[in-house]
This record gives sequence, structure tokens and C-alpha cells, in this order.
Amino acid sequence: MEYKRVDFRDEISSNKWKSFFLMFVVFIVLIIFGYAISFAFEPGYFFIIMIFAIIFSISYILISYYNSAKIAIASVGAKRASRSEHKEYYRLVEGLTIASGLPMPELYVMPSKQINAFASGRDPQHAVVCVTAGALEKFDRRELEGVLAHELSHVANYDVRYMTLVAVMVGMVAIISEIFLRSLWFRNRDDKGKGVYILIGVVLAILAPIVVKLVQLSISRKREYASDATAVKFTRYPDGLINALKKIKNDLVKPEKQVSKAVAPMFFANPFKGLTSTHPPIEERIKKLERM
Amino acid sequence: MLWLWILIGLLVVVIFALVVYFNRFNVLGNRIDNSLSQINVQLKRRADLIPNLLKTVKGFAKHEKEVIKEVTDARKALVGAKDLEKKVKADKNLEGALGRLFAIAEGYPDLKANQNFLELQRELSATEDKVAYARQYYNDSILSYNNLCKTFPGIMFARIYGKQAREYLKIAEVEKKVPEVSF
Repeated sequence: MEYKRVDFRDEISSNKWKSFFLMFVVFIVLIIFGYAISFAFEPGYFFIIMIFAIIFSISYILISYYNSAKIAIASVGAKRASRSEHKEYYRLVEGLTIASGLPMPELYVMPSKQINAFASGRDPQHAVVCVTAGALEKFDRRELEGVLAHELSHVANYDVRYMTLVAVMVGMVAIISEIFLRSLWFRNRDDKGKGVYILIGVVLAILAPIVVKLVQLSISRKREYASDATAVKFTRYPDGLINALKKIKNDLVKPEKQVSKAVAPMFFANPFKGLTSTHPPIEERIKKLERM
Repeated sequence: MLWLWILIGLLVVVIFALVVYFNRFNVLGNRIDNSLSQINVQLKRRADLIPNLLKTVKGFAKHEKEVIKEVTDARKALVGAKDLEKKVKADKNLEGALGRLFAIAEGYPDLKANQNFLELQRELSATEDKVAYARQYYNDSILSYNNLCKTFPGIMFARIYGKQAREYLKIAEVEKKVPEVSF
């Protein structure tokens, strides 16, 4: 397979467009879902449910969107990297910002023996990059550069914005399903003839969260491959990233307790071995990189 | 009446496209100029690090006059170079001279262990990476600009605004960045 060079600026516009499309889809799904529910109950319920769901989800979107970096940093207990202590870290990121044309992100270090890294922030102007102390210690210069390039690729491709929206969609669908299933307990007994709609509603309510979750995971895996490719575009040196992935694969440090499962998708490598679904298998990533 | 509306609609589309392409050309053009100055910034930074390095080296290996002079001259050539192509060429010479200096430093355990020396060595190789990255970004910027100038419909707007494809930096790429290909 030939490696097709993807300009990351094209990738950005496609991601921006996809984000918009996703918001649109969420809106449509919401309406259809509400419509189906309103058939199962009185129309009055429909409006109350929808108003609550919309207010809740919009505030959720805004809060997580504007604070994505802060939430991520706080949830893993990362500290701001000091310029005098982590000179190499700063130098490598500076080089990569030149290679990518991105503004300098804020750099953080996470006190963990594991080898890992993540990036967050709603756009390149508000980006943060965080690596574990284990990664700084165990990687050589080229490997660390490869991993940092991968993280900056997430920033350049607006992955955080996109994945936040995807997560919100998944969350919203789950919430609505939950509301619907629970509200069945308080149903009037005299709703004869609505059985079919209720059955459809129940099936939808059970299937929808599973389907959107699977879509989310598949998008997340695709973004990882895209970031690997963009990282190579920045460094023009796939071996750095390949060696880093190999090192992670052979790293035997136990998973961290302080890493919540909710933040797993944003890491460079999955912090939980066994739960491999947010990331493609390391072997596959290495194989793709070796073809570049 | 209908024709009038269609005409107005077309006019709006044309004006919109004119504005979008005007901005696009200028954004990409600025990106080229900006990345060009970034190369200069990094080359200057590199030249600025040399005197400190030489001072440290002289403290430990005074009699390696030949290589010290070589580095000094290479730096002078870099600072004195007028255009970018000459600067990049001078930087290449400087890199070669520095390589010899660092090879000689291996024979001086005290120098090799000197914290200041090590730091300068790392800093210099980092700026070398940055120079390479800046050139890479410069060439990428020219690529996107030229793609815009030479593909449809950009080619029409390029004529309207009198924009032409730009020249790449004509120097061999730095070898370090080329990975070994194995099949």
C-alpha cells in the first residue's frame, strides 16, 4: 500500500466539516427520538423531556468544550513542565511547532511511571500537551519527538473538538434512552394501542447507545491512524514513532489507578491493557508506519 | 423578474469566490514569507550559540587551534552571508566543522563531562533540527501555494490577481531526516 500524503490543512477542514455534520446529525436524531417518544406518551411529555435534555446537553457541550484542556490536566494530576527542568521536551516541541506551523502549546508532565502522552484543548491556540514522567525518562530523543508529533497532530487536526462532539452525542443519546426507559415505569395504564410505538421506542432506546458507542470507537481508532500519518508528515522520520510504539508494547509498568476510563481515548497508547477498543492495536499502527 | 434574481445570485457567487480566493492567496503567500523568516531566525540563533561554545572549548582544549578556527570561520561565513541560499550553504559548512569539533571533544574527558558544553551541544543539534523543520515547512507552504495557483479553479483567480507559482529553496535536503527504506 502506498502512503498518500495528506496535508494536515485539508484534514482540518474535513474535520471542521465533519464536526458540523455531526452536530446536525445529533439534532436530527434528537428530533426523531423525541417524536417517537411523543407517540408513546402524551405530547406534553415530549416537550418536557426535550427541554430538559437540550438544556442539559448544551451546557454539557459548552462546559466540556471550553474546559477540555483544564479538565484533562486536572483529572490526571499533571503539573506544568518547567522550562529549566525539561529543556529537551521544550526544544522538541518547539521544533515541531516550526515543522507544523502551530502555536506553542502549554506543556505538562504527569507523574506516572507508565509511558504515555496526550493532547487536549479546543483549538491550536488553547492546546496542551502532556507526557508521563516515564515517557520522558525511557524514550530517546527521536522516539519522544515521534510521540510529541503524534500529539501535536491531534491538535492540528482539531481532533479534540471533534471527539468532544462525538462524546457529547454518545452521552446525549444514552441520556435520552435512559430517560425513556425509566419513564416507562410512570406510564398511564390506559394507553391502549400505543404498544407498538412503545416497543419500537424500547428497541431504539436499547440499540441506539450501543450503535453510537461503536461509531465513536471506530472514529477514535481512525483518528489515531490519521495522527500517526500526520506525525510522520511533521518529522519525516517514521522510525522515531515506530520505536516509541515498540517500547510501549514491551513496557511492563502496571496501569495507573488514577487514570479514569473516561479519559482513555485521548492518550497516545491505551492506558488500560485489555481494553483496546479506543486505540488500534499497536502492531497494526507499527505495520502502517513501516509502509510509509 | 426571475432572470434578474438569477443574475443577482450569480453576481453574489462570483464576488464571494473572488473574496475567498483573494484571501486564500494572501494567507498562503504570508505563510511562505513567515516560514522564510523562521529559517533566518533559527540560523541566527545557531550562529549566536557558537561563541559560547568556543569559549567553553577553549577552557579545556586550548591547543586545538585548527578546528576552533575552522568553526569560527564557518560562523563568520554564516553571519556574513547575504541571501538565504548562501546562508543555508554556510550553515552546512558550520555543521561539518562542529561535527569535527565534537569528535575532537571526545578526547577530552573533562570537556565531555562539562555541563555547559553538553547543554550547548544539545542546543545546537536542536537548532539544526529547527532549521530543517523550518525549511520543510517553507517548502510545504510553497507546495500549497503552487497547488492553488496551478489547479482549477485557482488558476483563473491566479490570472486575475496576477499571482504566479513560487520557486522552491534550491538546496539538497538534510540527510538526517531521510529514513532508511526497507521493503
